[in-house]
Amino acid sequence: MTGQVLTPQAPPTGAAPAPSRRERRRLARLAEQEREIPVELYGLRRGTVTLLTMLAFLFAIFTLIPIAWLLINSTKTQANIFETFGFWFARPFNFFHTFSLLFQNVDGYGTYIQWLGNTALYAVLGGVGATALSAFAGYGLARFRFRGSRVAFYVIIAGLLVPITALTIPLYLTYAKAHLINSIWGMVLPSMISPIGVYLMRTYADISVPRDLIDAARIDGAGELRIFFRIALPLMMPGVLTVLLISIVAVWNNYFLPLLIFNINTKYPLTVGLGLWSDRAVNSGNAELYPLLVMGGLVTIIPLIALFLILQRYWRGGMLLGSIAN
Amino acid sequence: MSAIELEDLTKVYATGVTAVDRLSLDVAPGEFVVLVGPSGCGKTTALRMVAGLESITSGTVRLADRVVNAVSPRQRNVAMVFQNYALYPHLTVAENIGFALANKGVPKTDRDRRVREAATVLGLSDLLGRKPRQLSGGQRQRVAMGRAIVREPAVFLMDEPLSSLDAKLRVQMRSEVLRVHKAIGAATLYVTHDQVEAMTMGDRIAVLSDGVLQQYGRPRELYDQPANLFVAQFIGSPEMNVYQAAVDVSGDLVLGSQRIPLGSLDPGLAPYAGRPVIVGVRPEDLALGPASAGLPSGSGTLAADIRVVESLGSELHAVFSIDAAVAGTRELAAAAGEAADSGQLDLAYNGVARLDGRAMIRSGERVAFRVDPSRLHFFDPATGAAITRETSAASSGVAVPSRGIAGAVG
Repeated sequence: MTGQVLTPQAPPTGAAPAPSRRERRRLARLAEQEREIPVELYGLRRGTVTLLTMLAFLFAIFTLIPIAWLLINSTKTQANIFETFGFWFARPFNFFHTFSLLFQNVDGYGTYIQWLGNTALYAVLGGVGATALSAFAGYGLARFRFRGSRVAFYVIIAGLLVPITALTIPLYLTYAKAHLINSIWGMVLPSMISPIGVYLMRTYADISVPRDLIDAARIDGAGELRIFFRIALPLMMPGVLTVLLISIVAVWNNYFLPLLIFNINTKYPLTVGLGLWSDRAVNSGNAELYPLLVMGGLVTIIPLIALFLILQRYWRGGMLLGSIAN
Repeated sequence: MSAIELEDLTKVYATGVTAVDRLSLDVAPGEFVVLVGPSGCGKTTALRMVAGLESITSGTVRLADRVVNAVSPRQRNVAMVFQNYALYPHLTVAENIGFALANKGVPKTDRDRRVREAATVLGLSDLLGRKPRQLSGGQRQRVAMGRAIVREPAVFLMDEPLSSLDAKLRVQMRSEVLRVHKAIGAATLYVTHDQVEAMTMGDRIAVLSDGVLQQYGRPRELYDQPANLFVAQFIGSPEMNVYQAAVDVSGDLVLGSQRIPLGSLDPGLAPYAGRPVIVGVRPEDLALGPASAGLPSGSGTLAADIRVVESLGSELHAVFSIDAAVAGTRELAAAAGEAADSGQLDLAYNGVARLDGRAMIRSGERVAFRVDPSRLHFFDPATGAAITRETSAASSGVAVPSRGIAGAVG
């Protein structure tokens, strides 16, 4: 012993102070690490692991490069976008000037911020609608047997396989007859139809809502709607959020449908608006639109990234813990 | 009035499988009836038909003398405890228990009071704010019970409520369930595959096999006067030893190379004189020691080779072999066949005796068990139905009408 001070351990009394929140999180993380198998035990050689890691890393760079380019070039002037190295900054710093242009009607072609508002409206109405319909339909198909339920499901699956381009002409003619051209309902109603959402919800309801739970609720005197909202829906929540995200992104990125039904630029969503700008910049010599295109592209993806980060908290496993004995 | 009355209740699935076959039984108000049978015998299907969770192919279910075949589970006023508890995982214990009351529109204050009362009965008062995942297996089981009793139902259905618990907790919860049953007094239909649960809990027991009711009666009745070979072997642990035997014209039982005098030939057995029968003897009805001790005169003896001795402390199971063929299709027969197949004939056994824990007995010994003929059970080899005997009925002190061959009762 060379002058070491042994701190006496606190005697194990019954009332140990409760660990702080941070401490609990640290312990949980450590416990998580304990459960992970060390790489050596996967049965893979070190070299293989390194190689795969490198490949994954390269792929990540490949995926992120366009976003980095957008970020860098959003700070440049029109001339610099073409004349300087694409992956580094160049003076003058034009970010805020370009950004302010998003709020103006540029050359009478339309206002970016209005398109952003339109897109958000269509995405929220269409996405929420698609999610609600998918949740109802998926639960219904997973937990009720009725005449034609299998056929209905197969028809929905088949719907996944039909590309919307194949429906252009009938769709346009129908819309014209139904006065849905230039109507937001022309955009929102079709966006609420989501075969992939129904398919996902059916699968998710099947694994996350045990039949016994529904039976128990029926015996407890709950009506079918109450069972859905009070018992099934909370259990389906992670799946519901997945479908919500997919549906919102689908509407957000939809180009073809709004191109078909809108012919006045105040109704445009971002996709069509930016498409118009791009067309003008390339074909009509409106080169001053290039910085706006870059900036517009950047701002377009930010809400989706934010949405993903917000919803991520709700994806958690173990919804059924404690409900059903093994 | 019956709280529950099933009449020729039948369930045939779309696949053509008959799960429940003309089941008739009644449960009196406040009675605790156990529906028992091996897995796949249709007991859970029957229970679900009573609850309204399964459509009825034919027959009727009456609750409090009202036919409820076409009534939805919501309107039957039955409570049910599921095998896997089926707790609502995202609701607290209090919300789980109070869910049925909320559905009925019971006002919040009233609901809280009743939830607290139910929680007190079940010892859950401190856990009302927890979620199911924060509870132990026994606590979850209690919440499932709480959810049922809070409604003060007319009929209480339980589908193997204890099967997910470990052995020790299961024994504890058995008396807990009975205590709760006494407290609320609702007619209860309890499904289990465990004959010990059935024997210890049931006021009456209905034994089911392949969807057919084998016997319905008090536990003692089923044990002492099983209606057929199935009930005889299903009820009791270790199970009854059964052998192919014959009654000879002089009234002796011929069992392999051994003979056991049956005394005066019983009228019930008379038609079997000179013909084969199946004979059964419960493990505890085989006794060691000199023929004079404690048993009626005329007792026979049965010589057996002891194969294995299992000591349970308070008692001792002597696994033996005699030179008679096993009847029935249950575990012993399977074990005997297995040993024979593997060529270990010296290990083959075909019977178990249940002896005093301090009995001096070793494997490899040849012993003579004393057998009281009045404790023997006889079954028709063709039908498996019990051959009712005047003597056995008289000696067990229960009056049973002489019926010759007893078929399935109920």
